[in-house]
Amino acid sequence: MTAETAGFTELHEELREVARDLLGRTAAEAAPDWRAIAGSGWLGLEAPEPLDGAGATFAEVALVLREMGRAAARGPYPAVAVLGVGALGLLESSPGRDLLFRETVAGTAVPAVALEGEAVEGVPFRIGRTARGPLLYGTAAFVRDAPGADRLLLPALDPDGTPVVVEAAPDAPGLEVAEQPVVDETRRFGLVTAHGVEARPDAVRRFRGDPKAAVRRLHERAAVAVACDSLGLSEAMLEATVAYAGVREQFGRAIGSFQAVKHACADMFVQVKVAGKLVDGAVRVQAEGRDDGGVAAAMAKSYACAAAVEVAGKAMQLHGGMGYTWESGVHVHLKRAVLNRALSGSPAAHRGRLAERYPPLARERADA
Amino acid sequence: MTASLDLPDFRAHVRDWCRTHIPEDWRGAQTGVSDAEFVAFQKEWFQELRRAGFAVPHWPAAWGGGMPVARQVVLYQELAAHDAPRLVLAFVSIHHAASTLLAAGTEEQRKRHLPAILDGEIWVQGFSEPDAGSDLAALRTTARREGDTYVVNGQKLWASGAAHADWCLLLARTDPGAPKRRGISYFLMDMRTPGVDVRPIRQATGESHFCEIFLDDAVIPAECLVGPENDGWRVAQETLGAERGMTMLELAERLGNAGFGWLVELCGRPGPGGAAPLDDARVQDRLAGLETELTGLRALCAELVENDRPGPADASIVKLYYSELLQRMTDFGTEVAGLAAHTELRKPLSSGWESGAWVLDFIGSWEWTIPGGSSEIQRSIIGERGLGLPREPKGNR
Repeated sequence: MTAETAGFTELHEELREVARDLLGRTAAEAAPDWRAIAGSGWLGLEAPEPLDGAGATFAEVALVLREMGRAAARGPYPAVAVLGVGALGLLESSPGRDLLFRETVAGTAVPAVALEGEAVEGVPFRIGRTARGPLLYGTAAFVRDAPGADRLLLPALDPDGTPVVVEAAPDAPGLEVAEQPVVDETRRFGLVTAHGVEARPDAVRRFRGDPKAAVRRLHERAAVAVACDSLGLSEAMLEATVAYAGVREQFGRAIGSFQAVKHACADMFVQVKVAGKLVDGAVRVQAEGRDDGGVAAAMAKSYACAAAVEVAGKAMQLHGGMGYTWESGVHVHLKRAVLNRALSGSPAAHRGRLAERYPPLARERADA
Repeated sequence: MTASLDLPDFRAHVRDWCRTHIPEDWRGAQTGVSDAEFVAFQKEWFQELRRAGFAVPHWPAAWGGGMPVARQVVLYQELAAHDAPRLVLAFVSIHHAASTLLAAGTEEQRKRHLPAILDGEIWVQGFSEPDAGSDLAALRTTARREGDTYVVNGQKLWASGAAHADWCLLLARTDPGAPKRRGISYFLMDMRTPGVDVRPIRQATGESHFCEIFLDDAVIPAECLVGPENDGWRVAQETLGAERGMTMLELAERLGNAGFGWLVELCGRPGPGGAAPLDDARVQDRLAGLETELTGLRALCAELVENDRPGPADASIVKLYYSELLQRMTDFGTEVAGLAAHTELRKPLSSGWESGAWVLDFIGSWEWTIPGGSSEIQRSIIGERGLGLPREPKGNR
């Protein structure tokens, strides 16, 4: 290990400890205090230093996300740090964008990015040229933390078909945000509808570089972020199950000494290890800001989120009757795991994207 | 010559070497060949690799190795990517025998055997017995001390490649009165010793590279004992892991390159009706799932070789995951290939565990889930050593 990576590892270890401590102090059924989150610097990890950020990378954000999954934490941090900061970072600098960036880092603005919750690609809104000037139309379902947001960033196609982002206040005329309650009580979603929202030029923000690539990057970030969450919650479920199986006795011995239970735990461990490798790989590509992150993101999202459902389900099973009670809390992780699996594209949708590469590969091999 | 190259240049060097040295259509030439032809081809290929410095990169520099781990990773990635023949015959010699000699052998034993291995000496592992499989410590072969020798009697089973072996890594009981793990000793046995009789066993695939070894008053000189008498179990435990790590990385790279490549090629081939399996979204989905798992496996293997302090169950996790992924992959290949795959009656020797003869590959995948610690044993190790779960109530250990 080089001195540089050793220092890096130390930094990550510290960040992990702080996160575990802060999230551990949060009361059950409450979101961690937003001022504490802002004060910890987590919102500005990826923001550039001139905009009060830390100039760190997605790798550090991923670490916080994993801890949040582990704790099944509530609140809009993933929506703001992954999509909000992500979108702002991909936009051209302008006074309006820079101001919102600063406010977001400080925790005084809580933006939501209106991407369709289940989508793996695409832009939900469009700007139409009308007699009343440019107006925004469209809907996005299951927009992460839209109900509590005080600013909405709406990805849209401008009249020329170029992806842009329109900034709007939630109470802007023509804009509607309806809460969509879900079984997983740790999450909030909103149905965002725009029927003719004024899109003044100063509220329309353009992407730096290739706008289509920027939209793709946003979706990839969203997918990898959910994979981090699922990995964290899988780790928590594995640890809880191993601890329980080590102390719970039946037939005169710890249930973890029975092969049926032990081997199930071993399978959970293997799944967590594989998920960890795939998530690490996907996070690395995002942190390096590479354009070829789609494959790693699809693999991490599809595997880690499917594995988390199996791991949390096995956790409930191995906790026995106790695991099925509300009090045990295993259900919180299981519900979050199944929600994560659907969020930002199902495993099948992501595998479908991977499979687009196979026909050319098959032809290439047949020709060789 | 190549010591000064940086990693990308070393990779280019290996690529060039592969393009000019891997025998063209060796798979075709190794399909349906006799034992003698297989052995000759393996020995030739070993010397080819040796001349390039690629045969035993993991050995210490003093014995002819000394390649840094990062380069070994590159080497095996490229050998896999170029579908080089595998060192099947020398596998036990260069890994298990060498690591045993290096870890527990005397200087004389090393001097006698390590150079000989480079010259082609072939080793076999004589551990398992009819009543000592997963419970290896239950082995009953005895070695009775007589003067400067040990006299060995018993029967070994599942000795892979014993028919071609010059020497054997042998575990035998030297103290029948001691608890079962404490009375075992580790020997190096010359296979030409009178009283050593090898009989091939035909296995599920129809091949016969597994053998039984019958030992009838076979005499082993005392200087062929490895480590202290009755300390053989510990020596075996310490050197068993030597076949993991880099060899798993190589196998995973092969499965991810040639194996997955064939699978995609197979799925893209139009069937009698004109449609290819790949046109089916379910087939695409399965392929993408396998590619994802292969990516995870390769990353696990890379971690296993690069990590200075691997977790106590990391090697077991890799062995279990590789074995079962190989089985799932060859099962899928068999399913997609349909009846046509059943007409491939022979697979090429010298290949990896995926040869493209899907039915035989699938049947052969149990050769991974059963030996070397079955999947059940691996799960117990992962549960106990990796997760700290309580052991079974005390039975006969």
